[in-house]
Amino acid sequence: MATTVQAPGPARPPAQSSHRGASPSLGAKLRAPGFYRAAWMMVLGVAFATGLTWLVRMSTGHTTFRHFIDGEAILTVSLIAVPLLFLIGIGGFDYWFYWALGKPTRPEDHSGHGAYSWRDYFRVNTDHKVIGVQYTVTSFFFLLVGGLMAMLMRAELAQPGAQFVDANTFNGLFSVHATLLIFLFVIPVFAGLANFVIPLMIGAPDMAFPRLNALSYWLLPVAGAMMLASFLAPGGAFADGWTAYTPLSTNMPVGQTFFSIGVQFAGASSIMTALNFLVTIITMRAPGMSFFRMPLLVWANFATSLLVVIATPFIAASQFFVLLDRALGFNFFNAGAGGDVLMYQHVFWFYSHPAVYIMMLPGFGIISEIIAVKSRKPIFGYRMMAFSLLAIVVLGFTVWAHHMFTSGMAAWIRIPMAITTAIIAVPTGIKIFSWLATLWRGVLHLDTPMLFALGFLTTFTLGGISGVMLAMIPFDIHVSATYFIVAHIHYVLFGGSLMTIFGGVYYWFPKMTGRMFDERLGKWHFWTTLVLFNLTFAPMHVLGLQGMPRRVATYATKFADLNLLVSIASFGLGLSTLIFVYNMITSWRGGPRALANPWRGLTLEWQVSSPPPVFNFDRVPTVVGGPYEYGVPGAVHGIFKPAPAGAGASAPPGVTLSPSE
Amino acid sequence: MEAASISVHGAGHGEHEHHGPPPANRSSRVEPQLLGMLLFIISEVMVFGAFFTAYFFIRVAQGDPWPALGTQLPVEVAGVNTAILVSSSLTLHWAQASIKNGNRWGLKAGILTTFLLGCTFLFVQINEYANIGFAPQDAAQQTIFYSLTGLHGAHVLIGLMLLLFVTIRSFRGHYSPEEHRGVEVPGIYWHFVDIMWIIVYTTVYVI
Amino acid sequence: MPSRRAIGGALLAALLAATAGIALSYAIHWFPVQATTQAKNTDRLYHVLVIASVPIFVLVVTVVLFSVWQFRMRPGQELQDGQPIHGNTRLEVFWTAIPALLLLGLVSYSFVVLRDNEKKPGGVPEVQIGVTGQQFFWTYEYPPSVTGGRPLKSYQLYLPEGDTVYFNMRSKDVIHAFWIPAFRLQEDVVPGITTHYRATLDRVGDYPVVCNLLCGAGHSLMRSTVHVVTRAQFQAWLKAQERAGSTVATASAGNPARSRLPGAVVGAAAG
Ligand code: HEA
Ligand code: HEA
Ligand code: CUA
Ligand SMILES: [Cu+2]
Repeated sequence: MATTVQAPGPARPPAQSSHRGASPSLGAKLRAPGFYRAAWMMVLGVAFATGLTWLVRMSTGHTTFRHFIDGEAILTVSLIAVPLLFLIGIGGFDYWFYWALGKPTRPEDHSGHGAYSWRDYFRVNTDHKVIGVQYTVTSFFFLLVGGLMAMLMRAELAQPGAQFVDANTFNGLFSVHATLLIFLFVIPVFAGLANFVIPLMIGAPDMAFPRLNALSYWLLPVAGAMMLASFLAPGGAFADGWTAYTPLSTNMPVGQTFFSIGVQFAGASSIMTALNFLVTIITMRAPGMSFFRMPLLVWANFATSLLVVIATPFIAASQFFVLLDRALGFNFFNAGAGGDVLMYQHVFWFYSHPAVYIMMLPGFGIISEIIAVKSRKPIFGYRMMAFSLLAIVVLGFTVWAHHMFTSGMAAWIRIPMAITTAIIAVPTGIKIFSWLATLWRGVLHLDTPMLFALGFLTTFTLGGISGVMLAMIPFDIHVSATYFIVAHIHYVLFGGSLMTIFGGVYYWFPKMTGRMFDERLGKWHFWTTLVLFNLTFAPMHVLGLQGMPRRVATYATKFADLNLLVSIASFGLGLSTLIFVYNMITSWRGGPRALANPWRGLTLEWQVSSPPPVFNFDRVPTVVGGPYEYGVPGAVHGIFKPAPAGAGASAPPGVTLSPSE
Repeated sequence: MEAASISVHGAGHGEHEHHGPPPANRSSRVEPQLLGMLLFIISEVMVFGAFFTAYFFIRVAQGDPWPALGTQLPVEVAGVNTAILVSSSLTLHWAQASIKNGNRWGLKAGILTTFLLGCTFLFVQINEYANIGFAPQDAAQQTIFYSLTGLHGAHVLIGLMLLLFVTIRSFRGHYSPEEHRGVEVPGIYWHFVDIMWIIVYTTVYVI
Repeated sequence: MPSRRAIGGALLAALLAATAGIALSYAIHWFPVQATTQAKNTDRLYHVLVIASVPIFVLVVTVVLFSVWQFRMRPGQELQDGQPIHGNTRLEVFWTAIPALLLLGLVSYSFVVLRDNEKKPGGVPEVQIGVTGQQFFWTYEYPPSVTGGRPLKSYQLYLPEGDTVYFNMRSKDVIHAFWIPAFRLQEDVVPGITTHYRATLDRVGDYPVVCNLLCGAGHSLMRSTVHVVTRAQFQAWLKAQERAGSTVATASAGNPARSRLPGAVVGAAAG
C-alpha cells in the first residue's frame, strides 16, 4: 500500500499569498474577484433592470411617469441580471473576459487548486475535489431546508382542517419543498459526489473544463437563493407544485417568476456539469481504461449526463414559455387565443420523466461501488449492468406521457406509453437482480454504507413496483394525483435516491475529508431512517387508494388517523436526519484520521492518500484490469508504472494496487 | 471553452516549487473543446426541439390556420436574409481556410465580413419585426412565429458575440496555422446557427 | 456454499411471507365503496397487481436477508474475499425474460380492463351530463336529452342508478380534475377542450366529488357530492328542479366553496 500512497498536497505555494494574503485595501477588495465585488455589482444589476424596463416602457408608449416604473417588470429583469452580475463579481467569468478581449490569457497556473482553509470553499475554485465538496455541502443544506418545509407540511396535515398555515402558504411549502429537493438536492448532490470521485476513478488530474466546472457550481446557490426568496415575493412563493402546470402558473402572483427563472439557472448548471463529465470521461481516461474497465459509477454518470444534455433543454424551454406568457403576454397557453394548455405538460414531462432517472442512475452507480467492495466480489454481470443503464436512458425518453394518463390528451397515446413504462422495469430489474447475485457467496461487511445499500435494494424495489402499478392505466386513473403518488415519489426518491446518497456520502467520507465517521451513529442513522421512513410513507399508499388527493391543506376526517401517524413518524424521520448531520460535522472536525484505502477498494480513487493530493496523481496510472476483481488471485486494476507491452489482465510488474497485499 | 488541465503547457508551467498536475492521458482522438461544443450544440438543438414542439401543437395538433388569418409572412425578405446568412458561413470557411495556410489577412478579412454579414441578418430581422404588422400578443400563431424566429435571433446574437471575440483576437494577432482551435470551435457554432435558420425558415415561412 | 437446509428454510419462509402478504392484501380494505362496474374491474386489476408484486418484493427482501444471515463477515474473515463469480448468462437471460413476460401480461390485462371500462354500452342511450369546473366549484348541466324539456343547470349532481353516464367536462379558468373516488374514475378538466368519461352506475348512494388537480388556494375545498338515485327518484328530482327553475341562482349564494374564496386568487386566476 504505502508505496502507492502519495505525499499530501504541497503547502500553500507563494503564488497564492499574492491574492489570498493578509487583508488588502478596500479598493483592492472591491476590484478583486470576491464577495465585495459581487455585492456592488448586484446593486448595479438592480439599477440596470430599473433603467432597462424604464426605457422599454417609455419607448412602448407609456407616457406618464407612474407607468415608467413597474415593480413586476423590474423584478423579472433583476432576477436575470442580478445573478449574472453576482457570478461576474465573484470572478466566475474572469478568464473568458480576458480571452474575449484577446488579452494574453493567464495560462492555468493551478493557483486555484486545493483548499488550504475553510475560506477557500467560499471562493471560485477550479479544483474538482473542492468543487465536489462545495456541491455536496450546499445541496445538503438544501435538503435540510426542504425537509424543514416537509415538517411544516406534516404539522399542518397532522389534523384535518386548517392548523396554522393558510392554503396558499401550504401550496407554496410543498412546491418549494419539491423544487429544492429535486433541483437543489438530489441532482446536484450526485453531481457533487461524481465531481469529486470521477476524475480520480478514471485517473485524470481534474475535469476537462475546470473553470466551467466552477461556474456550474456557483449557479447553484444562485438558483437556491432564488427559490427561497420567492417566499418574500408579494403574493407568496410559487404555489402550483414543482410541475407548475399552466394556465395556473401563468396566472400565479410574481412568486412564479422566481421558479421559472431559478430553474433556468439550476438547469444551466446541470447541463454544464453533464457536458463536463461526458468530455472528461471520453477524453481523459487513464491509459488502459477501456469503457468496459470503467467503474460502474463512471458508467452511471456517463448515462446520466447523456440524459441531462438531451432532456434538460426541454424544461428550460417550458419555463421560457411560461415566462413569456407571464411577462410579455404571449399566448402559448392562452386557450382563448389558440394556445395549447396540454403542450406544456408534454414539454415539461419530456424533461421531467428523464429527470427521475437523472435522480436515480448515479445512485445505481454508487450502489454498484458499495456492494462490490463491501461483499468483496466482482459485480455480477458487469456488462449487463452497463447496458441496462443505456437501455434505461433510451427507454426513459419514450414514457413521458405516463404522467398524463388522466390529462385529457388523445386517448391512444396512453397505450404505447403504458407499454414502454412497464418495459422500463426490465433493465431496472436486471440491476436489482445483479446486485442480489453479487451478494451471493460474498463476505458482507455490514457497515453503514453497506446497510444503506441493502436498505436501498428493498425500499427502491417497493417504490419501483408501485411505479409499475401506475403504468396500468385503469389503476392510474383512480390513484393519479392522490397520496398513492406521493408514496411512490418518496419510495423512489427517498427510499431510492436519498438512500444511495447517504450510502455514498458515508462510503467516500474518508476520501473526501481524510477522517473516519462515527460508525455507531451511522448505524443509528440507518435503522431510525429505515423504520421511520416506512412508517412515514407506507400509509400514504392506503390514503391514496381510499381517496385522499395530494396537494391539499385539509382533508376529510376519515383520513385523520393515518395522517396523524404519518406526521408523527415524519418528525422522527426529520430528527433521524439530524443524527447524520451531527455525525458528519463532528467526524469532519475531529474524527480519527482515515487510511488511504480503508475499504480495501480496487478502484483508483482509493490508491491515493485521503484526502487526495492537490493534483490527484504524481504519475497518471495505467489500468490493466477490471475495477471489481475481488477474490481473483493477483488481480490488478491499475498501476503507477507505464503499462507493459499490451497491458493484459495478468498481473504485470510494478506497484500493484491489489488490496490483498 | 478552455481545457486547462489538458492544455499543453499544463505541466510545463511549473513556476515556483509547486508543480502542476501530470498532463492527462488522451483517451480519445477528439479534441475536448470540439467535443464540448458538439455536446453543447446537441442541447441547443433540443431547445429548438422544444420550441418546434410548441409550433407543432399550435399549428398541427390544434390545426390553427397558418399564418394567422389576416396576416402574411414576408417570405421574400426572409429569403434574402437566408442568402445573407448562408454566405456568411462561406466567408467564415474562407477565414478558417486562410489561417490554416497562415494567411493572416484572409483570416481577418474573412472573419470580419462574417461578423458584418451576421449583423446585417439581425438588422433585417429586427426591421421585419417592426414592419410585419402583427404582435406576439395577438394569438398563438403570432406567438410561436415570434418565439421561433426570436429564439433563433438570440442564437445569432450569441454567435455574433463569439465572432466578435474571434475577430478581436485575430486582429490582435492570435491564431496560427498550428493553433487555430479558437477559430474552429466558434465556427462550428456559427454553422449550427446557420443550419438552424434554414430549418426555421422552411418550416415557418415556406411550408 | 450455504447448506441445502438453509436454502430450503429460506424458500419456505419466502413462500409463507408471500402467501401471508397476499392474504393480508385481501384483509385490508383498500378502496372506498364500489359504485360503478368500472370500480369493480379496477379493483380486480389492483388485486391482480398486488398478487404479482408481493412475490417479487418478498423475493428481493428474502435474498437480502438470507445473504446477511449466511454471508456476513465472521470474525477472522476481515481480509478474505468472496467467490470471484463474474456472471451467469443463463441466469441473466432468465431474469430478463421472466419479468418482461410478466409485465407484458399485466399490461395487456390492464388494456382489457381499460377497454371494458371505456366501451360504449349497447342498447339504452347514455345519460349525457355536462360538467363545468371553475375556481372553486362545479356546475352541472342536464341537456334536453335528459330533462326532456328545458336544459337544466345545477350545483347538485343527481344521477340515475343502472344507467351509463357520459360526462362532458369543460373548464372556465384553469385545469381541474373531476374525480369520483367511489367510481374509480377521473379526468382533467382542461380549458379549451372538452374531456369525457363514462361511468356505469350500479349502486345507490351519496359519494364525494373531488377536484383532484391543484387549481389554486381553494383547491382543497373544491368538493361536491354525487347523489346516485333510482331512475324514478331521478325523474322526480328533475321535475322538482323544473318547477324551481334553474337552481344555479339560488344555490350559488349558499355554495360553500364560493363563499370561502380569497378574492385575490380568483382575480389572479381569472386574469
Ligand atoms: C427517482 C425517481 C423516480 C423513479 C426511479 C421512478 C420510477 C418509475 N416510475 Fe415514477 N415518479 C417519480 C419519480 C420516480 N419514478 C415522481 C417524482 C413522480 C411524480 C411526479 C409528480 O406528479 O409530481 C412519479 C410518477 C410516476 C407516474 C405518474 C403517476 C401519476 O401522476 O398519475 C408513473 C406512471 O406510470 C410512474 C411510473 C414509474 C415507473 C414504471 C418507474 C420504473 O422505473 C420503476 C422500475 C423499478 C422496479 C419495477 C423495481 C425493481 C425491478 C424488479 C425487482 C424487477 C421485477 C419487477 C416487476 C416485474 C414489476 N411514476
Ligand atoms: C428527494 C426528494 C424528496 C425528499 C427527500 C422528500 C422528503 C420528504 N417529503 Fe416530499 N416531496 C417530494 C420530494 C421529496 N420529499 C416531491 C417531488 C413532492 C411533490 C410535490 C408536489 O406535489 O409538487 C413531495 C411532496 C411531499 C408531500 C405531499 C404534499 C402534498 O401533495 O400536499 C408530503 C406530505 O407529507 C411530503 C413529505 C415529505 C417528508 C415528511 C419528507 C422527509 O423525508 C423529510 C425528512 C428530512 C428532514 C426533516 C430534514 C432534516 C431535519 C431538519 C432540518 C430538522 C427539522 C426536523 C424536525 C423539526 C423534526 N413530501
Ligand atoms: Cu379545482 Cu383543484
Ligand atoms: Cu415518469
